[in-house]
Amino acid sequence: METTRRGFLQVSGLAVFAGLTYSLSTQTKAFASEVDPDWKLIRTEESTSVCCYCSGGCGLVISVRDGELINIEGDSDHPINEGGLCSKGASLFQLRNVIDPETREVIPNPNRVTRPLVRRAGASDWEELSWDDAIEEIARRVKDTRDATFVEKDKGVIANRCDGIASLGGAQLHSEDQYGVVKTMRGLGLVAIDNQARV
Amino acid sequence: MAKLAFYFDSSRCSACKGCQAACKTWNSLPSPLGQDENPFTGSYQSPLDLNGDTRLLISFSEVAGGSKGVEWSFGRRSCFHCTNAGCVQVCPSGALAHDEETGMVRVTEDKCIGCQYCKYSCPFNVPRHYGYNDKINKCTSCLDRVSHDRQPACVKTCQSETLMFGSRDELLAKANERVAKLQEQGFERAAVYGGNELGGLGLIVVAHHGIESLSLPANPRISGMVNLLDILKPLAGLGAAAVLAGLGVSFLTGIGYERHKLRYDEETHDIIDDETNEVLAHFDFDEEE
Amino acid sequence: MTGHYCDLSNSDVFLTIGSNNVECHPVSAKWVQKAHDKGATWIVVDPRFTRTAACADIYSPIRAGTDIAFFGGMAKYILDNDLWQKEYVRNYTNAAYLLDPGFDFDVKTGMFSGWNEQTKSYEFSTWGYQVDETIPADASPTGAFAWTTEDGVPEFTPPGNKVPKKDMSLEDPQCIFQIFKKHYERYDLDTVSAVCGISVETLELVYKTFGSTGAPDKAGTIMYALGQTQHHYGVQNTRAMGVIQLLLGNIGLAGGGLNALRGEPNVQGSTDMGLLVHNTPGYLAWPTVAKYPNLRTWLDLETSSGGFYTNKPKLFISQLKEWFGSNATLQNDYGYDWLPKLGSDNDVTTMSTFELMNTGFIKGYFLWGQNPAQSTANTKFAREAMSKLDWMVAIDIVETETASFWRAPDLDPATIDTEVFLLPAALPFEKAGTVVNSGRWLQWRYKAVEPFDQAKPDLEICDLLWKEIVKLYKDEGGANPEPILNIKWDYDIDGKIDPRAVAQALNGYVIEGKKLLTTFGDLKADGSTASAMWIYAGFYANNDAPLDPSEQKVGARGREDKGGLALFQQWSWAWPLNRRVLYNRASADVDGKPWDSSRSLVNWTGDAWDNNDVADFVASRVVDGAPTPVAPNNNAFFMNWDQIGRLMIHSLDMPVPEHYEPFESPTDNALNGRENSPMIRFADKESVKKGTREEYPIAVTTYSVVEHWQSGSQTRHCPALVEAMPHQFVEVPEKLAEERGIKNGDLCRVFNNRGSIHVHAFVTPRLHTLLINGKEVHQIGLPHHWGWASMYSTGDVVNDLAPNVGDPGSYIPEYKAFLVDIEKA
Repeated sequence: METTRRGFLQVSGLAVFAGLTYSLSTQTKAFASEVDPDWKLIRTEESTSVCCYCSGGCGLVISVRDGELINIEGDSDHPINEGGLCSKGASLFQLRNVIDPETREVIPNPNRVTRPLVRRAGASDWEELSWDDAIEEIARRVKDTRDATFVEKDKGVIANRCDGIASLGGAQLHSEDQYGVVKTMRGLGLVAIDNQARV
Repeated sequence: MAKLAFYFDSSRCSACKGCQAACKTWNSLPSPLGQDENPFTGSYQSPLDLNGDTRLLISFSEVAGGSKGVEWSFGRRSCFHCTNAGCVQVCPSGALAHDEETGMVRVTEDKCIGCQYCKYSCPFNVPRHYGYNDKINKCTSCLDRVSHDRQPACVKTCQSETLMFGSRDELLAKANERVAKLQEQGFERAAVYGGNELGGLGLIVVAHHGIESLSLPANPRISGMVNLLDILKPLAGLGAAAVLAGLGVSFLTGIGYERHKLRYDEETHDIIDDETNEVLAHFDFDEEE
Repeated sequence: MTGHYCDLSNSDVFLTIGSNNVECHPVSAKWVQKAHDKGATWIVVDPRFTRTAACADIYSPIRAGTDIAFFGGMAKYILDNDLWQKEYVRNYTNAAYLLDPGFDFDVKTGMFSGWNEQTKSYEFSTWGYQVDETIPADASPTGAFAWTTEDGVPEFTPPGNKVPKKDMSLEDPQCIFQIFKKHYERYDLDTVSAVCGISVETLELVYKTFGSTGAPDKAGTIMYALGQTQHHYGVQNTRAMGVIQLLLGNIGLAGGGLNALRGEPNVQGSTDMGLLVHNTPGYLAWPTVAKYPNLRTWLDLETSSGGFYTNKPKLFISQLKEWFGSNATLQNDYGYDWLPKLGSDNDVTTMSTFELMNTGFIKGYFLWGQNPAQSTANTKFAREAMSKLDWMVAIDIVETETASFWRAPDLDPATIDTEVFLLPAALPFEKAGTVVNSGRWLQWRYKAVEPFDQAKPDLEICDLLWKEIVKLYKDEGGANPEPILNIKWDYDIDGKIDPRAVAQALNGYVIEGKKLLTTFGDLKADGSTASAMWIYAGFYANNDAPLDPSEQKVGARGREDKGGLALFQQWSWAWPLNRRVLYNRASADVDGKPWDSSRSLVNWTGDAWDNNDVADFVASRVVDGAPTPVAPNNNAFFMNWDQIGRLMIHSLDMPVPEHYEPFESPTDNALNGRENSPMIRFADKESVKKGTREEYPIAVTTYSVVEHWQSGSQTRHCPALVEAMPHQFVEVPEKLAEERGIKNGDLCRVFNNRGSIHVHAFVTPRLHTLLINGKEVHQIGLPHHWGWASMYSTGDVVNDLAPNVGDPGSYIPEYKAFLVDIEKA
């Protein structure tokens, strides 16, 4: 899926729209307006977003070219951060890509997990597995544990509770993700549900 | 005199290091990727100094005292874009030059021959080099952004209005006003730095705990070596060393953050950093140009 | 936050306490500085001199865990020096209400009246108001409960409304004002100074400066965070601050309020969403076996007798309708019985789950981007407990310490049978959806790039799992499949799970024709409306463009600022109803005139309300089919049944905040005869391993630095941040360093009964040796962002040392104040 419209859209790489236009001072006008074909943001498409660290809700402008992330910086139109970002916000780009010190090229961050993994009983390392297999195996374990620990009645009251599974987390997810989590976990009968608000 | 300048106000800086990170990400500068490769510095300042991959960092200095019990000062360590810039004077290849429109010391990396004269001519010990070819790496003032009507990355990301970039005259006036206000508020040592130093710096600093708190040199001067190298510059490299050898010199360079001593080894024909014993340049006298 | 980040620019005095807002919420500093530029004063009270302290005007150290003593002293100072906002306190708080004559506090034992030794809890009969009369609920056609008679509304008994006895002169010795005043008589400057380790001179300066905001035309704000909540009396710390703000008349004002700076990008959302044991989405009570065995008891007990929550059944029934769709009917109590009911035998909040894993009761564990093997209290115990699990599913962007708990340095993988699945999650900008910031602003994130490689959004992972589980139960049956098979799961658009469909469900709609609702005022208890999250009603309500977030309030980007108070009413949307400052009725006097006309949020012009913010009170009522303004009254806190702010309250552990010492404390309690709060949770668990001050004389607090975030999983993943703050360290005051022969940079061992870690020493004048009750106490500090799992930056887990005891209301652990010892390694 993709949203039909973004906060705004830009393809030239030149800051032509009012919000980002920046005058160097009250007296000094921008002195160049030609777009350098080698410029970092040439031909990028921009969308707005929100930082994923503290609860400030700072606005971001994300620049993408040919489907790959090029740059993330503060959204100058945003009333909260007015274009600024702290060190964490200013390095958001590195969540996905980093610079290889040897080649000085952009590479995908090698510390990221990008395939489903499983660590088997007693094993000392991960194995890769397909999404299909991961979902099938997890669903089977969930069902087995739910069936084994389900409490239909507690002290004569209908409880419909699954005692054997707990769920933790969600404060970094989107609200829509969170509803997905709360509805599936509660739907299974979980009562041991908490998130980072309990830290 | 520079037409544009950076402005840094230590009384507003919260040391969030947004500028330090933004400089890295916008300019695609790497950080070490090895596990625990960065050393513990014994400070919030990390890395401790500029290096071939770090053009800007926030400095920290803490001393007991003042109305709050501690004075913790945060400074900006990066190129000052001097009007009388030793690095520009000494650069034999034109890699470092004043940008005509902004007055900032611009970097044309392709032109850099790796001689590192700039490093030893700078009163602030700023220029650093990286990689196989030892290319110059210092603050470019993000002229690529400025020419596209954007603030330098460090300034754009600064949330506290500690950093600004714009007309030097305006920012200098602002700094003077700010210092007057800070003094009124009881910061007796508050001072402006960069107004007149070296013909006027392209980084105007407001130091609310005084310029010593940011380890800024009180009277920065270009090293004597610069004048020497300036004379040699047309000879670019080879000839320069020959003259240097003839003089058998040992120069003190860099007043301020760090002092460097160079020596010339007449046997090996190397120019060597006295402190690190790093060979900075080697000259082959048999080679004809 | 009762306000929001931009609103900080309206303050006259800031008090940062229990927060390091410059480092942990850097953007807040931007707005504080805007006020600072206009002449505001900034006070920081913190166990250590932080980067926030460096920016502030006034700094005071404090011994961690003594905030109630500090605020009790402030309350006394405010009252003794007549700094309180009298009209505000008289009209908008329960100061005038008469308390039950049986109420008592015994200083010798440190106990309030009503303690039941058998249940180890308080009974509240003596903590309530004296009541004049009880007015029965009015279900007549013009009454507040008229809707209860409509078709489709389940039967229940709305409660009558109690009318408390009052003395508006505040002189009656039994009125709350007098009892409150008497309670804090012990909190004089000398005593507070000795307990907190703050000089009398500094205390007076701080009290006087913040107390100045009691003037009606001044606004003071308090910023706090985990420094207040992570104590076994954290809820009471928070209440103490709320009470101060009521006394000074600061709640509800632009630039006022009590501002919790929350720690995660969407922890406001996850709290709203009821990703918590005790809540449904929108802060309604989660059903329990003991209290709410069926829908009727839920409605009977939860429906309020006064204020907005008289409408609670409408919110809950609409939620059940969203949950179960057409399967929820009046006949089956709208599916109430299918919701899982909490039992009474086990607490199941985070800390307790590790006890339950340890005994094999909990066998499976889902983790949605949380890292308890690094971040919970007493992590060593938590990891051992995890090793008893049958299986774990961790959804994350990196291999966290939790996903890799089996290869923790202190565990042997060969002996651990837990099967661990690690599913790769999409990054925030690799998917679309809503996040809610601390100021309750809902903002939309657009998807910028495809998830890298095989990573997936969490919602999609939920969808895959749910569909597979439903299939298994359809095919095979199993333990009661009904709650699973009756759930409505219809969030596909064009054949694929889509956050926009979920956004519509959260917003709520009239079921007939699925018309999105602009206000929760339109929700009904008759099964005709559905809303997963009543407080979000309106954020995604444009029926003309239901698939376009940029045409919804959540995507709004207007920069208008009506009133010039940085409310930015047209930018995004704040719950509830786009209200930017909660309790804004209290920003004006009883006649509806703003206390300060330059800070006007709401204003009664004589025949109408002229408001810059959305009214947080009943400003209009439908009379004869037309909305009609309601003239000013004193119902400024209408989410409470008594519709006022409470200086004292029916509460779980204390009716009024009283100082107790941290579970592990370097000193005796100088204010009453009891060491810890009587309702401290889990102190008796074997896993806690309490240390004494004789064994472990050093007080320690834990915290974050700006370069890293939470368990470090994300920031230790970013090389620029690792380079900017590469290592774990312990901050040590100079005097202690001298005593122990520790030099800056030395590797040290910090340890107690629960764990032992190796960290570098940072010897600094920013940490203090305090004089506490006549004795010197060294206080050290540990940032907590490190663990073994990162390609770039590793370190020992600080939370191995933190005690797994907690608050009886929040069940949050006491990370912020405990005991250790330190030696050169």
